Amino acid sequence: MRLVRRAWPNALAVVVILFFAFPAYWMLRTAFLPTLDIQSDPPVVFPTHPTLDHFGTALSRPFFWTYVRNSLLVTLSAVALSTAVALLASVAVARFRFRGRKAYLVLILAVQLAPFEALFIPYFLVFRQFDLLNRLPALVMVYFVSILPFTIWTLRGFVAAVPVELEEAALVDGCTRWQAFRRVVLPLLGPGLVATSIFGFITAWNEYLYAFVFMRDPQHYTLPVWLATFRTAFGDDWGGAMAGSVLFTLPVLIFFLFVQRRMVGGLTAGAVKG
Amino acid sequence: MTVPTVTRPAPELSPEPAPRPPGRGRREPLPYVLLIPSLVALAALFVYPVFLLFRMSFQQLGFGELVRRATVYTGFDNYTSLLGDPEFWHVVVRTVAFTAVCVGLTMALGTGIGLLLVRLGRKMTIAVSISLVLAWAIPIVTATTLWQWMFDSTYGVVNFVLGTPGHDWFASGVSTFAVIVIIIVWQAVPFVAFTVQAGVLTIPEEYYEAARMDGASGFRAFRAVTVPILRPILTVLAFLSTIWDFKVFTQVFAVRQGGPDGSTVTLPVYLYNQGIASSQYGLAAAGAVLMVALLAIAMVLYLRHMLRTELDE
Repeated sequence: MRLVRRAWPNALAVVVILFFAFPAYWMLRTAFLPTLDIQSDPPVVFPTHPTLDHFGTALSRPFFWTYVRNSLLVTLSAVALSTAVALLASVAVARFRFRGRKAYLVLILAVQLAPFEALFIPYFLVFRQFDLLNRLPALVMVYFVSILPFTIWTLRGFVAAVPVELEEAALVDGCTRWQAFRRVVLPLLGPGLVATSIFGFITAWNEYLYAFVFMRDPQHYTLPVWLATFRTAFGDDWGGAMAGSVLFTLPVLIFFLFVQRRMVGGLTAGAVKG
Repeated sequence: MTVPTVTRPAPELSPEPAPRPPGRGRREPLPYVLLIPSLVALAALFVYPVFLLFRMSFQQLGFGELVRRATVYTGFDNYTSLLGDPEFWHVVVRTVAFTAVCVGLTMALGTGIGLLLVRLGRKMTIAVSISLVLAWAIPIVTATTLWQWMFDSTYGVVNFVLGTPGHDWFASGVSTFAVIVIIIVWQAVPFVAFTVQAGVLTIPEEYYEAARMDGASGFRAFRAVTVPILRPILTVLAFLSTIWDFKVFTQVFAVRQGGPDGSTVTLPVYLYNQGIASSQYGLAAAGAVLMVALLAIAMVLYLRHMLRTELDE
């Protein structure tokens, strides 16, 4: 009986799995498939003679390691900056009540919704004026400010979750406020800092529009820009393009597994209260 | 942005216990000091560019003016020439329609799959969740490349499965848009599905028991219990999807740069074409202001909703 009742949902589930997982599988199989097999008709579903050739060509592309370095440099700088700045701000809004607190939170929420895509023209002109076009610091600044609101908003929840009593106890024991924060609160914020910086990392790592508009010289590209032009650079080398895609996806996928739950839980918590 | 661009930045709204300041009641400078770095950053990198954008939208600003460092104010000229240009209206209508299709499909599929998830057995739930996480986590540029490959006319698997060898999906605007919509929906559904699932899981079992005691059928119970509780979540998701999909650039641009023949140009791509590619910065700035004005409707509604639920302390 139970089996019958579940037949329909299970059938639907299989369709859902096929639609969402198949493209990822197809990317993997193409990446490992010898070039001749990629062009076979009917398509080879499973690579029987997997090859690493495409990964070899992807890795040996001129500038590949420069792109990796650019992407890492830009992303990590933006995340480090925004985490540091957001930590201060989140302590302020989570631990103190002060005049303007609500206005500040509204500002953060509004900036978070703002379409940064609409701002590339003023950024372009300002960076041009300061001779920052085509230079990585320009990207660092844009990514920093675009992940900052999210980081503040999320960290504030984590700070608020650390009981004030712990801090007060430390103060009673003779710590200064700074010591109490550094020795008691900061260690407890570890998971929050990890979660927010991973999220910032993924956002910046993925960004395409600004990197595409601002970075004109090939040696200043980031990985997303490289990936988007990859196919043109290769002609129709789909094996190489898919191997590059796999390489670019791996770090994100690994990080994603850590934060996925937290992102969903947070959003509904806010919505359900209404 | 990114996000969006970008993965979609999920505004994380954690329940917040009321802050209990150590030095209650005293006027303290400390919180203001802590806010200084973030305020400086936002002022320099957000408020100032917004101001510039607004000011530029009233200027004639092209490559020539830029080189000569000339400032030529032309009042509302940019706005009138944009609003008087049928091409601009085509782009606006196209963008709105495109957003509506993306949001509609994302919400319908996402809600359906979210409800499906709570009905499945443990193993099936895990399998579906993993496949959703895959689609969600794959970077946007990768996803775009990947779907282009699957829709490739010569060796694409889609043509093989549909039995339409050699069909060029990117030859017409409508079918190019169809591919773009699939890419966007494919990546946007998981977030909606997981959120709906999480929302349903917060509903206490007693509610359903009570409904059953009152003699409600499965469907009645769903309508009386599940729907009202899900409504605020769905509202938030619909707002967010609208905001995100309206400003999508990467997928649209990376697939065919707005082609064929400009038939898939949406507002962000239009701004890029006008502003950067043709160096008509003033005109593009006016377009950007108009785009923000359109988006503002969704943004204000979302903010009001969020402020009511989040900041009421």
